[in-house]
Amino acid sequence: MIDSTLLTDSDQEAIDKAVGQLDGWRVERVSSAELGTAVSNANGVRAVLVGGDDPSILRDVVERAHLAGTPVIVSCADDTIRRRAVELRAEEWYRCPTEPEEIAQRIRAAVARGYPHAQAASDRVERVEYEQMLHDSLTGLPTLPVMIERSRALFKERGELVVLYLNFVRYSKIEEIYGWEKLDAVLETTAAAVREFLDDTAMSTSRLMVSFTNDDDFIFFHVPAAGVAGPTENEITEMVARLQRHVGSRIETQHGEDIAALFDIYVGRAHVYYNPKIRLERLIYRGIREAANASRSIEELERARRVADLRSSLRDRAVYVDYHPIVITETQEIFGYEALARGVMRSLRSPEVMFDVAAEADLVWELSRLCRSRAIEGMDTQLRDKQLLFLNVDPHDFSDPAFNENEVKYPERVVIEITERTAIKDYPKFRERLRIFRERGFRFAVDDAGSGYAGLGSIANLEPDFIKLDISLINAIDTNFIKQNLVETMVRFANDHGAMVIAEGVERAEEFKAVKDLGVHLVQGFFLHRPSHLPQPVLRTPSAVPG
Amino acid sequence: MNKPQMPPILVVDDNHDNAEIIRQYLEIHGYPITVAHSGDEAIALFETVRPAVVLLDVMMPGRDGWDVCRVMKQHPTLGRSVRVIMVTALDEWQDKREALQIGADDYVEKPFDLPTLAATIQRNLEVQRAVAS
Repeated sequence: MIDSTLLTDSDQEAIDKAVGQLDGWRVERVSSAELGTAVSNANGVRAVLVGGDDPSILRDVVERAHLAGTPVIVSCADDTIRRRAVELRAEEWYRCPTEPEEIAQRIRAAVARGYPHAQAASDRVERVEYEQMLHDSLTGLPTLPVMIERSRALFKERGELVVLYLNFVRYSKIEEIYGWEKLDAVLETTAAAVREFLDDTAMSTSRLMVSFTNDDDFIFFHVPAAGVAGPTENEITEMVARLQRHVGSRIETQHGEDIAALFDIYVGRAHVYYNPKIRLERLIYRGIREAANASRSIEELERARRVADLRSSLRDRAVYVDYHPIVITETQEIFGYEALARGVMRSLRSPEVMFDVAAEADLVWELSRLCRSRAIEGMDTQLRDKQLLFLNVDPHDFSDPAFNENEVKYPERVVIEITERTAIKDYPKFRERLRIFRERGFRFAVDDAGSGYAGLGSIANLEPDFIKLDISLINAIDTNFIKQNLVETMVRFANDHGAMVIAEGVERAEEFKAVKDLGVHLVQGFFLHRPSHLPQPVLRTPSAVPG
Repeated sequence: MNKPQMPPILVVDDNHDNAEIIRQYLEIHGYPITVAHSGDEAIALFETVRPAVVLLDVMMPGRDGWDVCRVMKQHPTLGRSVRVIMVTALDEWQDKREALQIGADDYVEKPFDLPTLAATIQRNLEVQRAVAS
């Protein structure tokens, strides 16, 4: 460690303590009279600390230091000296007496500022940015160019490389629903799980490297150990299956079942053999592309399976409903329940996934009808008198001729939840439909209110009875003041328009307290109640296939 | 008796007079202050100064405050703990949502009075302490 010297004329003990806190620094003392000369002549002096009592010495030292490109810290016994220090443009100053920590901080800051030209500062900025490019800050994993460099020599030596492409599929709505912080958190968990897996795996005798593509996919390079045959297809298959299970269970433990249900990992593979006639980068990138394509084929196969699952679920009415309590903030009484429909089949357990699949297969109306009818069926058993049923309806359902205001016996107990996000093409027609439903006694809630960029104007147009805040606003609201400000605005808006605000996704006591203090009328989330559901319908068992 | 460590604050403002006023006021309150006069300077100083709070003016020539916020919040070691307070008018709902997207923790409108500024910094430091423990 190269020695950095602090040159000073001051005998404050705190200075020695301060320098002790800095790595590789030492103090050199001279008398005040000699300080000026010492500054001009000294080598290895990284900073000068001058006791500024004598104004002419102060001026002399600062001028010489700046000529030599050395930063100056001034120890100021009073305000006059401080003013002088500032006028002379000393890099840093402090009021003495003070703690060593303060002095150390000043020395650090002075050195940071002591760059003689703007060029050096922009070099620093570039370095910070380049470092962020080489390693993904979220996962701590190297980016692809770095990994290719690292594996170059090994690949040449061993002659073959297996590329595994982990296609990390998330339902596109995850960011919309839960916010980017949630997605980041899941990616971090995934990266940690992947790294954990690498440490444990039996294939650790061979080199296994992983990189992150920033688009939330992971790439493994596996180079077989010297003298060992490359892994067989079966071995890779087995490893991949274990990896998927490991990552899946980590996400579920860390973030819960509901979030875990929104992610899937499909792994594609490719074998790359070293060929001296072809450039190494090309070989590797081709291998990556091949593995990526393979993973996407698996994804498509899985999608087709889900569509088949959906069709049979629709046929068998294999959908059940979770009732999520919505609670009055002040009294914690249950005000109503939101009905959340889930597929009985595991692959369709998550409503977001189920509707995503339905959208692909053009079965949204059928699925919506089934979900609504199941939700309404449960009203009598699940809801007490006076409690309201909150029912999710896609605005496009209003165009479904089979959807009408006469479906429900007690419309005054039903609140129709419409997502603000979904685009409404024919607005006047839609408003007309809303009016008809209102006349029958239905009420309306706007879901994910404020998550778009439309501001509050479009919410006002819908004249909602309830306004549901989007989950990402509630997440960690206790530590973010901008979120608090937004919710405050929304509560005021609601009160002005005769509506009630519902905060969804309240998971912690601190979040509950924050929304309560902001005047939010109703709350929903795991902190308050876990959802309950009626017994699931029994699936018709398919005829058994022997073997 | 050990005086508790006062957390360092980085003030980023291209207006030298403004920055100096803020610096003097906050130093009276005991905070070690470093001033940067541009977005680039702020990023260059970030790792050395390791501020607990960054007071970031949005309207600056060259690299604007939003970009600086993004770079700081994405820093591998410091991004998690640093609190970034944007100095800007965020009147519209959309502006606040965008600020959230970039990772800002709080904001202060110009022109601000210094006591409000001190109170804003204080509440962010409290949150930071609570999170750290």
